[in-house]
Amino acid sequence: MSIQIIINGLAVGSVYALIATGFSLIFNILKFSNFSHGALMTLSAFIGYFFAVKTGSSLIPVIIVSMLAGGLVAYIGEFVAFRKITLRSTSPVYYFVSSITLGTLYEGIVTIWVGPNFYNYPRFFQSMVVNIGGFVISKPDLIMFISSCLALALLVIFIQKTRLGRALRSVSFDRDTAGLMGINVFGIIQLAFFISGALAGLSGVFLGINYTLYPQLGNLVVKGFIASVIGGLGSIFGAVVGAILLGLTETLLINFVGSGYAPVFSFLIMLAFLLIRPQGIAGSNVQEKA
Amino acid sequence: MQFYISILTFTLISVIAVTGIYVLTGLTGMFSLGQAAFMAIGAYVSGFLVVKAGVPFVLAAIIAVVISVIVGYIVGLPTVRLRRDYISLVTLGFGEAITALLNQTQSITGGALGFSGIPKITTLPLALISAIVCIVLVSYLKNSKYGRQCIAARSDELAAKAMGINVPRIKMTAFLIAVAVTSYAGVLYAFFTTYVDPGIFGWKKSAEWVIMVFFGGVNSLTGSIFGTIILTALPEVLRFAADYRTVFYAVLVLLIINFKPTGLFGEYELSVGNLLRRLSGKKEERSNA
Repeated sequence: MSIQIIINGLAVGSVYALIATGFSLIFNILKFSNFSHGALMTLSAFIGYFFAVKTGSSLIPVIIVSMLAGGLVAYIGEFVAFRKITLRSTSPVYYFVSSITLGTLYEGIVTIWVGPNFYNYPRFFQSMVVNIGGFVISKPDLIMFISSCLALALLVIFIQKTRLGRALRSVSFDRDTAGLMGINVFGIIQLAFFISGALAGLSGVFLGINYTLYPQLGNLVVKGFIASVIGGLGSIFGAVVGAILLGLTETLLINFVGSGYAPVFSFLIMLAFLLIRPQGIAGSNVQEKA
Repeated sequence: MQFYISILTFTLISVIAVTGIYVLTGLTGMFSLGQAAFMAIGAYVSGFLVVKAGVPFVLAAIIAVVISVIVGYIVGLPTVRLRRDYISLVTLGFGEAITALLNQTQSITGGALGFSGIPKITTLPLALISAIVCIVLVSYLKNSKYGRQCIAARSDELAAKAMGINVPRIKMTAFLIAVAVTSYAGVLYAFFTTYVDPGIFGWKKSAEWVIMVFFGGVNSLTGSIFGTIILTALPEVLRFAADYRTVFYAVLVLLIINFKPTGLFGEYELSVGNLLRRLSGKKEERSNA
């Protein structure tokens, strides 16, 4: 019973970690909160859904299609909504408005496309549970957990060990200097958006499998935001830890009082964290530049 | 006729809410994505007091606004000292929490079905007078010492601190003013529609208000109000394109942000003796940049 809850919490937490990481990537590189992330999750999850229905394929191709779609849409979104602001380097407030508007646009497109209805992913597995060492574990939970860990591990290796990853870090640190060092700054920004979008696609599919698929699914992005606030804005490590923590606490609390109150709890957890440790778990409090 | 009066009243209620957003976003540069939740608190608390407890309307409205401000203080407390991103994220979480709470406490609020049976008290004149009072107060605020401090804090927080401005307090005050005004708009809304449900107070509503402010011009109260009137009334009149409304909105705003980031009105304020003011307005613009 309790093991079941913990595994469920870990699975939910790992999906939150995917959301929070995608959000943190953009926060790191352009220093703003990307509010279009949630709607992008929905959009790419729907693309994956229709791909699954049309071709009847298994889970892996659906995930790949969703990730590619999410990445591409984010890539285009950067060009449409953020490029001019970055070039002009005016007040960061415009990023806010642009990202909110872009999110509204994605959601509007999804609503026109699919209507306000609920959709269910086809069942990808014959049996919904696996039996490991006497514990009955739900299969989607297990797959969610494993693939999230895999994706996050790949991302960390990419950021820490490769040339492009190093370029990404240097652009996050100081865009102008990185540009002077011969790094293609906009190429790197586009890459960050592509990765972030791909993560949105992955988390969108998992959320769609775990809950149902509907145009407002993206509202679950709030969990990712809360996780990154708990972890410390802009820190990928912090975001992952915060997300797992949030997933576990939430699952435990839901078990006692019911799922309807989950947003209230996550909000209270965040508020408590901000009062006690405003810089977050990782402690990297990015200061607003004067 | 009734139809147009109702649109006009809704527009005026939006204008009231947006004057609050203007103080928060336009003057102080903060973004709240949970502002609609304060509207919900105003609507539900006043509605509950009048319907279930028999409190007179005016008293209920005052109590509702006071409660919203207290809640706003708790929400704002940990965030005003931090980077501005935090207030957006925290208010976003707050909005979701309030929506969940309203959905869950079915015995009091009617849950997802909504809270009905509120008497119809808000009329067009009441909304109009309230809107005018709010606009006058906010335009007075903009030109006051406090307003200038807000603008200083928005333009450069560090420099404002160095000049001896208590930035966290300025931010908190702006947030609470916005909360009070928005929850008052919520009261008017509840007593106009006679029915409220949690669905309409999501973060999309708050985001819409921010978009309206930016559409008209984030530095201009006139522009913000003008933007609100256009973006609220036009889609209501053009009902046939209801589905495409949000997409139309979004594309329009993206175009404005990309090509005219100061919004339709820029810094321009409509007022008597405008020529004289424009001179000082120009100076203000230079100090903002």
